[in-house]
Amino acid sequence: MSDDRPLSEADKALATQTAEELRAAALAAAESLPVDVHPPTLFDVQEMELNFGPQHPSTHGVLRLVIRVDGERILHTLPDVGYLHRGTEKLFETETYPMGIPHTDRLDYVAAATNNHAYCLTIEKLLAVEIPRRAQLIRVILDELQRLSSHLVWLGTSGIDLGAVTPFWYAFREREQILDFFEEYCGARLTLNCMRIGGLPFDITAGWVERLMEFVDDLPSRIDDYEQLLTDNRIWKKRTVGIGVISGEECIEWGVTGPVLRASGVEWDLRRAQPYECYDELDFAIPTRVNGDTYDRYIVRVQEMRQSVRILRQCLERLPLPPGEFRGKVPRVIKPVAEEVYASIESPKGELGFYCVSNGTNRPYRMHVRPPSFINLQALPRLAKGHLVSDLVALIGTIDIVLGEVDR
Amino acid sequence: MALKKWLDKLTLLDLFDGLSVTGRHLFTKKVTIQYPEQKKLPSDRFRGMFRLDEERCIKCTLCAIECPINIIYIDWHNEKTPEGKSAKVLDRFDVDLKRCMFCQLCEEACPTNPKSIWLTTKTYEMAAYDRNDSLYLDIRKLTDWRAAPNVKPFTVVEQG
Amino acid sequence: MKVLTPTVLTYLKVVILVAVVPAVVGFVIVLAERRLMGFMQARLGPNRVGPKGLLQGVADLLKLVTKEDITPARAEKAVHFLAPVLAVVPALTALAVIPFGPAVRIGRIRTPLWVADINVGLLFLLAITSIGVYGIILGGWASNNKYSLIGGLRSAAQLVSYEVPMGLALVSVLIMTRSLSMVEIVLRQERLGLWFVFPGLLAFFLYFVSGVAETNRNPFDLPEAESELVSGFNTEYSGVKFAFFFLGEYAAMIVISCVAVTVFFGGWLPPFPNVPALDFLGVVPPFGWFLIKTGFFIFCYIWFRSTFPRYRFDQLMALGWKWMIPLALANIVIVALAVLLTPGRSDGMFVLSYIFGGLFVLMFLLAKLRRKLARRERLAAVPASAPEAT
Repeated sequence: MSDDRPLSEADKALATQTAEELRAAALAAAESLPVDVHPPTLFDVQEMELNFGPQHPSTHGVLRLVIRVDGERILHTLPDVGYLHRGTEKLFETETYPMGIPHTDRLDYVAAATNNHAYCLTIEKLLAVEIPRRAQLIRVILDELQRLSSHLVWLGTSGIDLGAVTPFWYAFREREQILDFFEEYCGARLTLNCMRIGGLPFDITAGWVERLMEFVDDLPSRIDDYEQLLTDNRIWKKRTVGIGVISGEECIEWGVTGPVLRASGVEWDLRRAQPYECYDELDFAIPTRVNGDTYDRYIVRVQEMRQSVRILRQCLERLPLPPGEFRGKVPRVIKPVAEEVYASIESPKGELGFYCVSNGTNRPYRMHVRPPSFINLQALPRLAKGHLVSDLVALIGTIDIVLGEVDR
Repeated sequence: MALKKWLDKLTLLDLFDGLSVTGRHLFTKKVTIQYPEQKKLPSDRFRGMFRLDEERCIKCTLCAIECPINIIYIDWHNEKTPEGKSAKVLDRFDVDLKRCMFCQLCEEACPTNPKSIWLTTKTYEMAAYDRNDSLYLDIRKLTDWRAAPNVKPFTVVEQG
Repeated sequence: MKVLTPTVLTYLKVVILVAVVPAVVGFVIVLAERRLMGFMQARLGPNRVGPKGLLQGVADLLKLVTKEDITPARAEKAVHFLAPVLAVVPALTALAVIPFGPAVRIGRIRTPLWVADINVGLLFLLAITSIGVYGIILGGWASNNKYSLIGGLRSAAQLVSYEVPMGLALVSVLIMTRSLSMVEIVLRQERLGLWFVFPGLLAFFLYFVSGVAETNRNPFDLPEAESELVSGFNTEYSGVKFAFFFLGEYAAMIVISCVAVTVFFGGWLPPFPNVPALDFLGVVPPFGWFLIKTGFFIFCYIWFRSTFPRYRFDQLMALGWKWMIPLALANIVIVALAVLLTPGRSDGMFVLSYIFGGLFVLMFLLAKLRRKLARRERLAAVPASAPEAT
């Protein structure tokens, strides 16, 4: 694409100078800069730039942070992302709408069902498809199971980052059962591909509801176990209280959503504010805390796990017996009208949205992902300023990023 | 809860609480599954290794079209049957297992009933020492796993 | 047997100690730690190598010994070689003054189960464990890696800081025994019929927590944690040198446990020796009791590791200097009062043990109440908010 604007006078002058003249002018400008009269002495502050490399046990993926430190104190953090970039958004443009669903699994690979859900909601909004109630209930069940799974991963890895090695194993023991439920439903444990445009690919199997009910009844005592290990533990509190404080207004300025926002005092949850599926008829609370530090984010996520259990119970009770409609009427070849649409859901990490521009063909013209992890990660320099390098590990864990979503 | 706050400050009870959780778990049932002596049974819908039934296949290439990664390569040509009709004959049906993500879209696209290509074989042990040969399956290896020596069937599930 | 003079027997005991303890560390403690941590995490630990995983220590040892021995370029070769040795030797030397049991008779030989009973045993122990700090500092410095250096210096600062409350806690025991000799401490507990853990409950807690900090174990293991930016002083060590550091850490664990048993828990004495109904406990030899008690403390080390998160370095130092040292000093005053107010008798110590024991029991009685309050607080943290519609 050429720029057809006319050259300015300064640019014209620049275009006529030779390389030697330009170099001489640059050197002259450098000479004229003020010279540092006092070279640094032993008592002057010297900042050091450290590389918290892409290969590190605690960066939750391939995240590179360039940290500028003064001794132990962090002055500035620069996240250098892109190590997991796979061109997902471009890939969407080369495939038809239904073919894109398996690719969304790999965005936030810890919470694949919510990714599928957001994508399908976007296309359904574009097509104005009505989703049958049974599909809605099962979608909510899958979403909340995924939220539990994602928060369990967060709990385990957050614990390990701060030295508590056992909650990881307990959390993954529960997560294993959740993955078994997913496997029984759609055939895969992690990259689920469990939703289709218009509803679901299959109906649930026999006995799934009963076993899930049993699991859900067991879960609150397990969450009690995790809390007994961590919530009142003085060492845990010392490591998390007052670390990474961010206020509600700042969260809104930075566009941070999800548990980070709710821990800072803003009671914003898309399931309550812009209800989708059948969330408007379900009874659950939005955990909110006021301090906005790491400890509050921990409490918010643990409470969200408890509320997910509540939602699951309600949905399982309301689910009518099979068989039933689990997929709305969707044309065989999906060719939406040329339109732009944005739909978002509350994923475990925050607001996950898909912005779709269609041009009337069976492939999207542009499919953009609003990744909550990427946008929350932008707040990391703000969170880390002034803290010690040892706290950085806790902070990366507390904003709960998944690099698949950050880099796409 | 001022009382609890004071209790926590003065005593070490919060630490002992944590110790009691781990101490209790010393005696709980352990959840380890000792692979390979014990294996978990995959569910009926588990997406595993491919099977192809060449007779059922009508060579519509819908699976190749639907595949998000374009790893199914199908070639066919027309041939005259003894009755004088023209029928499709499969030349090549290759699946590049190196890049497959086991999403099952090919099985969903297959129009035959029962499906001609299916993933619900409960087989997941497909590790191989050599990538290029062992993980590129042609029609022979897909229909008869003995030709694909790196595939260890869990249970051979024949779709009826 | 004229050949087996006491001197020769001493040398023999040294040889046995130096041969047995690393073997025990390698084959028993390493496996026990991994298996027990696994059990506490609802999983089985390593159980593949040998029956029930009993040969895991052998496998680990073989692995470490056959690894390539790397010395970083431009590192001080001599110091790099010497640092692991300096970490191990003090820990093993400290075992020389620990009484494992009273005199035993093997055939026609009578010998006590300790290498040397010097009359400054406790002081010797504190001094020797201080030398272990050199191994860490030199290990960090000799690696030619600024992160190792920082890790080593942090570790050293932690060790040096926590030696003070450890020493002060032991001073309070000293007040009760009037002797630095380890054997004398055990004998005095035997004479009193009272283990020093009862009047010295606070001292014991201070000592054990300082001991955990001394050995760089969770919750005080920040200098060597993998998830930190600085990987610690033993980053650049591989193979046998790393094995030595490893061995040094576990040997120090054993030393701390043995000293805790000797000084606070009666050494080789069985519990309640005055009660005739429990005489069947005499079936276990004194050395057996020592082993059981030491084993319990090593289990406590493992228990702590699998339960607690770790302190940040500045919090760790603040804990040591601002909390433990004043507590240790206060403890000395309390114990001294108890002993001085009843001169010549041991009543003061008994009264103190009743007071401490009562407070301890009270604490556990309050545990149930506290758990109920905690549960109520957790569940009430979020008010149930129902949607307006439907």
